[in-house]
Amino acid sequence: MTRVLPAVAVALCVAATVAWAVLGRGDFWPRWVYFGFGTVAAAVFVFRRALRTSSGRRRWLVVNAAFGGLLIAADLTIYVLSGGGYFWPVWTTLAVSALLGLHAYVVSKPPGKRERELAARVTSLARSRSGALDRQAAELKRVERDLHDGAQARMVSLALTLGLAGELLRRDPDGAEKLLLEARSTARSALDDLRAVMHSIHPPVLADRGLLDAVRALALDLAVPVTVAGTIEGEPSPAVETAAYFAVAECLGNVVKHSGATSAQVVFAAPLRVTVTDDGHGGVDPAAGSGLRGITERLEAVDGRLEVTSPAGGPTTIMITIPI
Amino acid sequence: MAEDLTLLRDGIVRMLEAYGFEVVAAVGTGPDLLKALLTDNPDVAVVDVRLPPGFSDEGLRAALTARAEKPGLPILVLSQYVERLYARELLADGTGGIGYLLKDRVSDIGEFVDAVQRVAAGGTVLDPTVVAKLMGSKPKLPLTPREHEVLSHMAQGRSNAAIGAALFITEKAVANHTNNIFAKLGLQASEDDNRRVLAVLKFLEGY
Repeated sequence: MTRVLPAVAVALCVAATVAWAVLGRGDFWPRWVYFGFGTVAAAVFVFRRALRTSSGRRRWLVVNAAFGGLLIAADLTIYVLSGGGYFWPVWTTLAVSALLGLHAYVVSKPPGKRERELAARVTSLARSRSGALDRQAAELKRVERDLHDGAQARMVSLALTLGLAGELLRRDPDGAEKLLLEARSTARSALDDLRAVMHSIHPPVLADRGLLDAVRALALDLAVPVTVAGTIEGEPSPAVETAAYFAVAECLGNVVKHSGATSAQVVFAAPLRVTVTDDGHGGVDPAAGSGLRGITERLEAVDGRLEVTSPAGGPTTIMITIPI
Repeated sequence: MAEDLTLLRDGIVRMLEAYGFEVVAAVGTGPDLLKALLTDNPDVAVVDVRLPPGFSDEGLRAALTARAEKPGLPILVLSQYVERLYARELLADGTGGIGYLLKDRVSDIGEFVDAVQRVAAGGTVLDPTVVAKLMGSKPKLPLTPREHEVLSHMAQGRSNAAIGAALFITEKAVANHTNNIFAKLGLQASEDDNRRVLAVLKFLEGY
């Protein structure tokens, strides 16, 4: 199409010129045919150029300028083609310039409410992303240290004990047997360590059963009786589930350690809001401890929020909201 | 025998055969396991919780599905980690013949084989870790500390004689304690006497 249309236009222009020559000349009317096609071609070219500007408020200013420029050019051409006289295009030019000036002023003005919101969001995203990266790096370091000090150290001792047992096998079978028993118990301790590390990275129940059952399993292991109620709608992403799980785990850990509560409740609501309530003595300051601050940051990484209501004397309610 | 790691599966099969078991099926996936449980009529099954294709809790689900169809089908569930939640689900039907152990326990061959036999005989064998977690939290059951101790041993599938030996008391004294426990938990004697299983279930729920 893009190749055919210009060809057709040129052909029509030539045809008009021939017709004019054949039909007895006179006023050179084909100039209006040239003008029509020329305007269309110019418009296509200019608007294509203008729309290449990256999207946003500036793009509309460029489109506006293109339209204004085209209008002025067309007016000037018409003025020239129609034989001059009173220079009327001055009015179009003035009007277009005024409009463009106004538009440019509006664009250059300080950003509106929505733009300010977006800017704030970019800042918060940048912060939470760098926070998430820092946390991840710290987390990896912790895992490395746990493995190094725990399972790996035990494996070294295991290899050593097995080597010794091999040495003793002929000379002192009883001693070798003792060492083998020791090796078995070391292997078990290494497995216990590995299990603990794996649980701290990603609780297995969470992987196997999802958030609700993982919180149920967690609640069963706590010293304070905790009821878990409600449902989750849809299937939250693993990142959301993990963030929610560790947030709830931190809250329940605080309930057990600090609140003096005799019971607690975890209620899930759709799409994903978790409310943790306890009957303890209240007075929780979300800014004071590193725990709640940590999970607030962790939640921010998935656009989540944490709200704490904890008057002195209790009860304490912590609401975790994550958009899905 | 259901386990997806071939090395471990072959090891356990060899161990079981060395102790006089006949292994009728050794499978590596959840669907194969369910088929074997329902068609091969095993006296007991040893099942890994996490199996292909989903690598989540296919083994556990297959065990629960098979037991819904064949109540009391003895199954010993092995896992890399133990959760009270899963223990409760396994015991919930109250028919016994359930074991739930950490996979590490296979390293103690004598105890492991013993556990397989106790499960095959309809007993309930819970991993010491599960029991220790229970004992660590605040008890809600109206039992004396001694009765708690007896119950925790019962949860690990021990007989009265074995409990007596572990606590240095006579078997008769253990029988006294167990009768008191049954009475306090409101468990009446019945013909198919699965009170031990029900007591363990109360133990799991009562903390």
